[in-house]
Amino acid sequence: MVETPKVAVLFGFGINCDRETAAVFELAGAVSERVHVNHFVNGDRDLSEYHILAVPGGFSFGDHLGSGRLLGNRMRFAMREQLTAFVAAGKPIIGICNGFQVLVKTGLLPGKEVPDFEQRASLTLNNSGRYEDRWVTLEFDPESPCIWTKGITRIECPVRHGEGRFVMPASSDLDALDASNQIVTRYVDPSTEPGKGITDETLPFPLCPNGSIRNIAGICDPTGLVFGLMPHPEAAYATFLHPHHTRSDVNEEILAEGMQIFRNAVEYAQANL
Amino acid sequence: MPSNIVRVETTPKIGEGMRDVRGDSVKRQLAADHNIEIGSVRSIVGFLIDSEIDSTQVNERVDDVFADPIIEESVTDCLHLDNEELFSEEPDMVVTIGFKPGVTDNPGKAALDGFKTIFPNAGENARVSTYITYSFTSVPDGIDVDWLSKQLHNGLIERAICSLKGEASAKIEYSPVEPIEYTAPATIDLEISDEELMKLSEEGLLALNLEEMQTIQAHYRDPAIRAARAEVGLPENAPTDVELECLAQTWSEHCKHKIFAAHIHHVDTETGEDTEIDSLFKTHIMNPTLEMKEEVDWLLSVFHDNSGVIAWDDDWSVCMKAETHNSPSALDPYGGAMTGIVGVNRDIMGTGLGARPIANTDVFCFGPPNWEGDLPDNLFHPSRVLRGVHAGVRVGGNESGIPTVNGAIVFDDRYIGKPLVYCGTIGLMPRRLADGRESHEKNPQPGDRVYMVGGRVGYDGIHGATFSSLELTEESPSSAVQIGDPITQKKMLDMILEARDAGLITCITDNGAGGLSSSIGEMAEYTNGCQIDLGKVPLKQEGLSSWEILVSESQERMTVAVKESDVPAFEALADLHEVEATWVADFTNTGLFHVIHGEDAVASLPIEFLHDGVPQLKLESEWKKPEPTPFIPPVSSTHTPLLLEMLARPNIASKETWVRQYDHEVIAQTAIKPFVGVERDGPGDAGLLAPIHGSTRGLVVSNGISPRYSDIDAGAMAAAAVDEAVRNAVCAGVDLSKVAGLDNFCWPDPIESNKTPDGRFKLAQLVRANRELERICRAYFVPCISGKDSMKNDYGSGENKISIPPTLLFSLFGNHPDVRYTTTSDLKPGESLYLVGESKQELGASELAFMLKETGVVEGIGGEAPQLPTPEKNLQSYKALTKAIQSGIVRTAHDCSEGGVAVAIAEMCIGGRCGAAIDIDGPGEADLWGRLWGESLGRILVGVKQDNRAEFLSMMKGNALTYMGETIEGDNLSIWDGDDLIIDANVDDMVSAWKGSLDMTGGDQ
Repeated sequence: MVETPKVAVLFGFGINCDRETAAVFELAGAVSERVHVNHFVNGDRDLSEYHILAVPGGFSFGDHLGSGRLLGNRMRFAMREQLTAFVAAGKPIIGICNGFQVLVKTGLLPGKEVPDFEQRASLTLNNSGRYEDRWVTLEFDPESPCIWTKGITRIECPVRHGEGRFVMPASSDLDALDASNQIVTRYVDPSTEPGKGITDETLPFPLCPNGSIRNIAGICDPTGLVFGLMPHPEAAYATFLHPHHTRSDVNEEILAEGMQIFRNAVEYAQANL
Repeated sequence: MPSNIVRVETTPKIGEGMRDVRGDSVKRQLAADHNIEIGSVRSIVGFLIDSEIDSTQVNERVDDVFADPIIEESVTDCLHLDNEELFSEEPDMVVTIGFKPGVTDNPGKAALDGFKTIFPNAGENARVSTYITYSFTSVPDGIDVDWLSKQLHNGLIERAICSLKGEASAKIEYSPVEPIEYTAPATIDLEISDEELMKLSEEGLLALNLEEMQTIQAHYRDPAIRAARAEVGLPENAPTDVELECLAQTWSEHCKHKIFAAHIHHVDTETGEDTEIDSLFKTHIMNPTLEMKEEVDWLLSVFHDNSGVIAWDDDWSVCMKAETHNSPSALDPYGGAMTGIVGVNRDIMGTGLGARPIANTDVFCFGPPNWEGDLPDNLFHPSRVLRGVHAGVRVGGNESGIPTVNGAIVFDDRYIGKPLVYCGTIGLMPRRLADGRESHEKNPQPGDRVYMVGGRVGYDGIHGATFSSLELTEESPSSAVQIGDPITQKKMLDMILEARDAGLITCITDNGAGGLSSSIGEMAEYTNGCQIDLGKVPLKQEGLSSWEILVSESQERMTVAVKESDVPAFEALADLHEVEATWVADFTNTGLFHVIHGEDAVASLPIEFLHDGVPQLKLESEWKKPEPTPFIPPVSSTHTPLLLEMLARPNIASKETWVRQYDHEVIAQTAIKPFVGVERDGPGDAGLLAPIHGSTRGLVVSNGISPRYSDIDAGAMAAAAVDEAVRNAVCAGVDLSKVAGLDNFCWPDPIESNKTPDGRFKLAQLVRANRELERICRAYFVPCISGKDSMKNDYGSGENKISIPPTLLFSLFGNHPDVRYTTTSDLKPGESLYLVGESKQELGASELAFMLKETGVVEGIGGEAPQLPTPEKNLQSYKALTKAIQSGIVRTAHDCSEGGVAVAIAEMCIGGRCGAAIDIDGPGEADLWGRLWGESLGRILVGVKQDNRAEFLSMMKGNALTYMGETIEGDNLSIWDGDDLIIDANVDDMVSAWKGSLDMTGGDQ
């Protein structure tokens, strides 16, 4: 039993959400450390020192050659054993935005029970052709094995990406992903009743901001430990970050709904590691 | 090992859920900008890999580096276009675009990095260059392929190859960089006539005037100097080219601000005033700030560093800097703007011992995007400039992980001649480092090693500083244009912040204008000397001569000083971050800026002469009041259609489709975003940040700019800019006891000459602007802590000359006690509406006047520009209002600027998707036009919940406050003048007018 889980938050090479990602884990009760990717690549640090791994958002290597691809390659080729051991030890991993793209391109998502580092899906240019920063509404599959999203029905948070359209080669691949409840979270129309927003039909822009197939915003691996999503829950950690916070009287509460994802992982680590 | 050039191409798969978004975007853009409907556009990305790896090996690993096998098709050593299965329909036109040799190719650099991950044995000289091919089918008749290629590339930095149906497909080949021939340092004979001195200055792009050339000449006649030079083996009687170039950079208008430092004889024909001014900067900017510094304890560092620093609280200090990148942006809007934003980020990194950039602001001034008139040679259409500048700032900011939180875009015909691209950055640093040193102070010692960190030095960016001090002509050098590399800079930033926190840095500054000559030269003032070895400087390509290495402005470089004992730790950090850090110089206390290249001395200049030797300019200024044709409102008019027209004016219309492409909330701190309200599309006033995670302590950032008032009085223009920035910050609930400002002047050349016969008037405009800046800043207690000026914003000469309107951007940042207690402009249901401040009859140079003149309704725009006769009264009402906001009883406020009350209330209805009924009848001398459309300063529209009205009124007691009306149910805005209904507009109609006119995206799918 670990009382205060240790979180490794990767940084370097153009990752740029490392500070806020480290901060939200701390606010959720963990100790986090920003660790340069090369410490793991060079072998002077090892992932086994940590209980949780976060791959934050950013523009690793400028997203040239496709988002997340070059950082994904470094991890795929140089951190393969450490990552396999981390997953085998039942430790949670999250990839947010560029981090999600990295996890998809390393093959950790949608992945296999035992990682084989084969890429099966991709995240590609938004249908609009534009990078955009806008808030979206997300709804979660209550049956998902994902340990990060337990008890969450719906949250609002921003997307900030130009390459967020989730694709797989065949619709049968998506059916299989759906059947195993790995489609953890999707963009929904905020005017629907919470819990009833999820639909397979791609919603119009900007409800589905990128044209993602089946409105997919995030997926997990079969174990539910590895989770990736395009939107930024860490950017919705505080009530005053919500675009509507001035539309009502001052809310004295500081921490907001985006925190629950990080709390879930910390609690999971406390209970299971 | 033999080297091979291997070609790899990738193209998006087309099919179920798969499409070519890049091609579709080009198709939409051609439709949006030129009304051209093309059947389809497809894109191919190409890589030319020059390495020791052969094509069989590359082909086996293509999907590991170059192609994403899920979404892309790839081929090796052939063209996709020749594959009839993938491209079954032969295109009408094909355009392939690659970079010119020597131009930064960021995708190529990233590809090389990825390639070396797979092939560590690729070879030391391995290179990758990239290109993109567009194929067009069903192209309408009459489209010329060369015209088409010009819409897609910039000939200054890129090359394009085109082909037509039936021809072999356009195929770009690898073009090796032409070797540069090294030229040994030359001696420049200055014992020549005055005419020849000036010829030398002009032909050498030195941009020095005769007196400055003579001062240099005199320096080399000094016997003591001659003796000292003989001793180090330099030519005794004459400068080397290295020295002359170094002096030209250091003494450039760009670096020395000679006009702001000039001695001015000022005559005012209106008042009869005849005075002498010893430096506008010292008189109106520095001295007032230094006097204010006596009264407060939070002005930590002003004027002397790369940005001004204030104490935010006991633990943190903040700094801010804004700069312009106008000339480079005119030549290459994308590259110019990108180097602008990443350049000002480096000013923050180079402040104190290194600050962390936490927010960007950007303000652009362009020609009208829908311009249909003639364009002078060599100038881009304003819509092209807008697209390019926007893209450069977007990529530069987003990839650096710095949110763009506030800005503006201003349009006027005259900015066709020179666009203004203002980029600002706020930085944050701990007050003290772990070793106890205060982080806003640099403390190098003689003996410290000087490292050049980040990028390498290349031929790109030579003569940038002198170039920006000259006006734009057809001969403007293309070497002044660069493309930024945000990832190299981001790696450097990560490393530098770690080095700072580990206490490894004694001094740091950025390499901007003037390159190493400026950066090391300026830092050498601390220890009174340095020795640089140019032979140690890592180069992008061999063959650069000594002076070129010294003054090159190649991007992404910082200069950092490190104690000798800290060298191993510093170099280890650089290795970890894969950042190149090279020991290139040492600090000394010899009093000399001494430069060697290998064994040989190539320059030796006394530090004092280098920095303080430039003679003061003497300039003439004469004010004559401009008399533009007065704006006389039409006798009768229907104001509702006028409102919809005004909302669609580019200066007022929503810039949302552009601004949303900036990341405005990375770092998870942005408590007021650029767009607010129910649908998150109403205008935000100031930006509000909570940069310490978990804390509600805030920082406000805002901007003010109103260049068109210069048509009447540049003084009024300056006052309006300051007031607008303050007003915006007040709307956020800023703490007015801790607010600092930045003055950023962009002027047409104000020095009288044959080219500038009206130089005296333009200088008088500058004098008036400075006087008003000082008066308002003193009244509001806003010290100017850092500023910048760009003084040659003209194009062409004679009758074809275009001069920009004199423009001051005033940027402001200030403390906020708690970000939860703030307002946004969107109306909330059930609010009563009040106007803080008074409406006066001030319609001169207003947006309404310009609109009615352009549509031929009126003759002129002249009249009274808004004035600030009693700023202390405004401050009193601002203080009362911020107090009310900080108490939580006000949640809605919006400043009145372009378009006056009518536009402000319309924008509030748009943000709130809410109706309102207001009555503009009230006290004051203004008539209906003045009260509705006038742009009087000091005014803010406020919404207060009915329950809070009494408390609000008591808090605002003693200040100018007028009850205007109420929000109403339904979606109508009605504006009454007493019993007359003068505007009756539907919110949806206002939304479409406001959001429609600048949406140049061509749609979302």
